[in-house]
Amino acid sequence: MTVECLNALSQSALLFFLGVGLTLIFGIMRIVNFAHGSFYMLGAFVGYSLARLAGSFWLALVLAPLSVGILGALFELGVLRFLYRRDATAFLMVTFGLALAIGEVARLVWGSQPLEVTTPKALSGVIFLFGLPFPLYRLFLTGAGAAVAILLWQFLERTRLGLLIRATSQNAEMMHALGTDVRLVRSFVFGIGCALAGLGGVLAAPLVTASLGMAVNVIIDAFVIVIIGGMGSFAGSILGALLVAFVQIFGEYYFPDFAMALMYLVMLLVLVLRPGGLLGKEA
Amino acid sequence: MATEGRLTRRTVLGATATAVATPWLWRRAFAAEPIKIGMPTALTGALASVGQQQKRGAQYFAKLQNAKGGLIGRPIELLIEDTAGDPATCVRKAREMVERDKVRIFLGGMTLSSEALAIVPKLAAWNAIFMSSDDGDGRLTASDFVPNFFRANTSGPMDTRTVALWMRASPLKRFYGIGMDYAWGHDSVNSFEKLVKSEKRDFVGSVFSPIGTKDFSSYILKIREAKPDAVFIVMQGDDYVAFLTQAHEYRLSPKVQMLTSIVDLASTRAVGAAAQGLAGSTRYCYSYDIPANKKFVAMWQKAHGGALPDVFEGEEWQACEILAAGIAKAGSIEPAKLRPALETVAINSIKGHVAMRACDHQAVQQGFMVRVVEKPGASEPALDVIAVYPAAEVTPPCRKETYPD
Repeated sequence: MTVECLNALSQSALLFFLGVGLTLIFGIMRIVNFAHGSFYMLGAFVGYSLARLAGSFWLALVLAPLSVGILGALFELGVLRFLYRRDATAFLMVTFGLALAIGEVARLVWGSQPLEVTTPKALSGVIFLFGLPFPLYRLFLTGAGAAVAILLWQFLERTRLGLLIRATSQNAEMMHALGTDVRLVRSFVFGIGCALAGLGGVLAAPLVTASLGMAVNVIIDAFVIVIIGGMGSFAGSILGALLVAFVQIFGEYYFPDFAMALMYLVMLLVLVLRPGGLLGKEA
Repeated sequence: MATEGRLTRRTVLGATATAVATPWLWRRAFAAEPIKIGMPTALTGALASVGQQQKRGAQYFAKLQNAKGGLIGRPIELLIEDTAGDPATCVRKAREMVERDKVRIFLGGMTLSSEALAIVPKLAAWNAIFMSSDDGDGRLTASDFVPNFFRANTSGPMDTRTVALWMRASPLKRFYGIGMDYAWGHDSVNSFEKLVKSEKRDFVGSVFSPIGTKDFSSYILKIREAKPDAVFIVMQGDDYVAFLTQAHEYRLSPKVQMLTSIVDLASTRAVGAAAQGLAGSTRYCYSYDIPANKKFVAMWQKAHGGALPDVFEGEEWQACEILAAGIAKAGSIEPAKLRPALETVAINSIKGHVAMRACDHQAVQQGFMVRVVEKPGASEPALDVIAVYPAAEVTPPCRKETYPD
């Protein structure tokens, strides 16, 4: 039981990186980023290359999300910026197209074979819990998830930029009228969201290797988290990630035949009882 | 002196004339009638990595053979087209090759067994021979057998048989099965379960993971609680790589023996050190230590920038050798002459002695068990051949998919 909880916690950390980025972007820009899974995959591939070049996983862990974030911000600056006057379908099409493009570029650059990313030496060991070996890396993931969540929360609550982001997500027009460069805030938030997805990708790579299938595999989970937690709610993305991970891990263990369905059942239940998500505004 | 001078001049003139004429004669003879070999192959899609290997193997064989003057004095021309692994596309491309290019010989290609099964009923009407290089479905040389089909490769039942023979001699008692949650995973795990029981060992449980599973920790916990000695894995692609990586992460392997069929280089490379200890049957292994294979591997590496030949590259090469031996024996590519010639072909291939048998056109050949090991100084895990089983024990009885013992 304890082991399963630890498994679920480490898994929810990975899901949190995905969900929180998606929810931040939605909160501030009211767009659904279909390319989110692709930024996650890109994080893993860039992380693979950086870890190879620099010989250090830790350097890759810092630089890969940074470069993915910059790429995301550039995309917002170069493309999305011109679409805010259009309706939501334009964003769906453009980000979906971006997902396809990133997938093809990754295939050209890194090939279609999955690539191995080795767990850093210091974390490749195990500790014994109730006589069973438990990988240190999973504990590290849990810690990393908690640390990022706290940092992000403090950033949003305590800093001036965080205040601007929160205010913009509530009323962008008012912010604009008050003299804030809303466009800059949007680019920044899109970049941060992508960087968080990239961070999730690098951290997941030692568990699943860097592969083209990653993008498709996670995007559904990410949407489920955001729907359960509430679109645009920071605390909701934490709650959603925890709920999805626990349902998946315990479901796979106790009811392996229905594990897939369980997650959607929870989502359905939330949609029926609280259509706006557990911590979202009522829709 | 004078005689010598004249002779020299004549020799020089003659040699010059021959030298000038040869390429022309050569080209003229060749341009007349190349041997066209059709290969509708899955170059894209889920099994693209296998299709690409088939393509590389066949192209390399054709290149070397053509440099030697081709086959029965004619050059080999490969017609390779993408099917994306779709049986309907495969049939359409094959028909086009027959009608447009007058193709009389097909070579695998036909990357999926479902493609091969769609092609074989049409061979008689097309008056064409088909030499399979990777199609594993047992039915092709049993219930669905047609006289124009030949299988140069090890079949699926032969893969499993090799694991069974190895299991007999191993001390492993308790087995667990994990497969991907669709037809192939269920079928293979079920037939493995029967096999384990027929060998009087314990089958302690099985579980199926949805396609695209990222986290296997729950499955690994379940497997650990069943306390098996070995886990039989029926997975491919990303899921397979992720499972092996995480099984090692939780130290399930190498304590519990990981078993699978068709151990290949591409997957073990992706898993890296975590693949260590993985054992399974394979159809071709670069490290099989016989002179013919050593020579082939050296040649291959030289031509491919040091890359080792993988499972389906080796299998393709063997299929080409068998086909070439048949054509040489028949002196023709006319199916009426080629078929009887192929039925008795026997060669010493890179996998040892291989002989086609007339009763069901299955190439009778040895079975290999390999283990993934780490070689000091090597950048990637190596495959060691740990057991070789004689052809008579590995090949099923004529037109059968099952074994009497």
